[in-house]
Amino acid sequence: MNNCFPIAGVVIKELYRRKDFYVLFILTVLITLLFGSVNFFNDDRIARYLKDVCLLLIWIASLVIAVTTTARQIPAERESRTIFPLLAKPVGRGELIAGKFLGCWAATGLALIVFYFFFGMISASREHSLHWTLYFQAIWLHWICLGIVVAMVLLGSIVFAAPSSNATICLIIIIGIMFAGGHLNGIAIGMRGIRGEIVYAIYYIIPHLEWYDDMRDLVVHDWGSIDWLIWAGATIYGLLYAAFLLCVTWLVFRRKALAL
Amino acid sequence: MIRYFAAFLLTACFTLATVLEPAFQRLRAKTDTSSTMLVALLGDSRQMFAAHFFAEADAYFHSGFYPTIFDNAKPEGPSHLKEEAHEHEEPGHEDHDDSFMGPPKDLFDRFGRNFYPTVHTHLSHGNEREILPWLKISAELDPKRIETYVTAAYWLRTSLNKPNEAEEFLREGLRANPDSYEILLELGRVYFYNKKDTRVARNIWELALAKWVAQDAAGDKPDRHDHEEILGEILRADRADNDLKAQLADLEELIKISPSKGTLEPQLEDVKAKLAAQK
Repeated sequence: MNNCFPIAGVVIKELYRRKDFYVLFILTVLITLLFGSVNFFNDDRIARYLKDVCLLLIWIASLVIAVTTTARQIPAERESRTIFPLLAKPVGRGELIAGKFLGCWAATGLALIVFYFFFGMISASREHSLHWTLYFQAIWLHWICLGIVVAMVLLGSIVFAAPSSNATICLIIIIGIMFAGGHLNGIAIGMRGIRGEIVYAIYYIIPHLEWYDDMRDLVVHDWGSIDWLIWAGATIYGLLYAAFLLCVTWLVFRRKALAL
Repeated sequence: MIRYFAAFLLTACFTLATVLEPAFQRLRAKTDTSSTMLVALLGDSRQMFAAHFFAEADAYFHSGFYPTIFDNAKPEGPSHLKEEAHEHEEPGHEDHDDSFMGPPKDLFDRFGRNFYPTVHTHLSHGNEREILPWLKISAELDPKRIETYVTAAYWLRTSLNKPNEAEEFLREGLRANPDSYEILLELGRVYFYNKKDTRVARNIWELALAKWVAQDAAGDKPDRHDHEEILGEILRADRADNDLKAQLADLEELIKISPSKGTLEPQLEDVKAKLAAQK
């Protein structure tokens, strides 16, 4: 396990050396400030639309960072052939997967801290208050959600040939789950026979990323914090799902030929 | 040589800019670039986006408790926001209504409901301001959507106590919809209830009534309830002015169309008695 941390450290360094994060952060700041500068009926206490826009941008930016950073990890190592010295003993393939996962997850976590700090400033400047508990729960569950996303993209980087196709397919799946994942049960009930059973099975199998995304509404509309037991349940679900995806990734990667 | 040529080009550009800028200003004023640009970019889909943003305002009014396209929402009928605009409920009204969601379908559904609003509430105590940005954007996208102006103006003049902003927005709506009796009805209310200018309010309502009658005569089938509301507001203005003759005429008109004749008839008799006593 000790071998994982240096690998993770390299991934984190890559995040702050590359320009993706800075560009996305500056874009988020600019667009939010642009929206904030609009005058609606001479009322400067209108806050929710700004929080909504800012949180939406943060979710988009964090997903883009998580997917693009993770998608290129293993293909880049293979392309530059640095994977061969990396996998020389004592680093195993499982440790490489774990290291890459930890690095990408930690990197997105660091990016989230910066993004949410900005969100907190915007929110406090309009509402003159901060809902610490709710914001902590929101950022934590957002990070857990990104853990599932990172594990999913890591699996995709083993299965799909190119990082671009992996990133595109994963983004489509993630957005699809966030948009319709929580409603598959309702759709399944409306369908008859075996098709309904299949859709219901898919509903149970897919990672329920929409739970974490739905938290945005609670934050935007100032509904209080959620029950800590529910928070813990969502955390455990996310960690278990990410662990499951990592196991599958390791099983596929174990038998994968590395030569291009 | 090249430096002189660059200086010449810069001078030429500067001179041309001073000549062309006023011409472009005049052109901009004529063509109203902002709206034509929106038309060019979005076409008729503007109305769809405007409806979406109006629904977003409704969702904000319910603090995120709002059906998605997957939920069993009423397919037709007025929006909740418009209903609220006419029947202002008790502030802070809260109702554990999960009608559009139904009971949880399974364990995951039950668990997932902890992450989004599941309680029916309405914004109150000035927080109604949160819906305004979406209404403004909706009006920008579809200036012909009358209910946007009326709804925004209602909240501006009541809960938010901003009659000037309400009037400005309604006049903006009136410029886009000059024949709208709904906007005139709301504008009259701004003058009557907020600015306490009964004379101007009554004139505006008279104009609203004329527009309603004209549309009815043209066979446009204007809303009957609005006709009753316009006559009711004119009656209130006449009561405020203590004009008994006008009140009598208003009541006679109102009784012809109102479903609550039982309430109005004693009022009519009362006005008649007062007029007789004056003679």
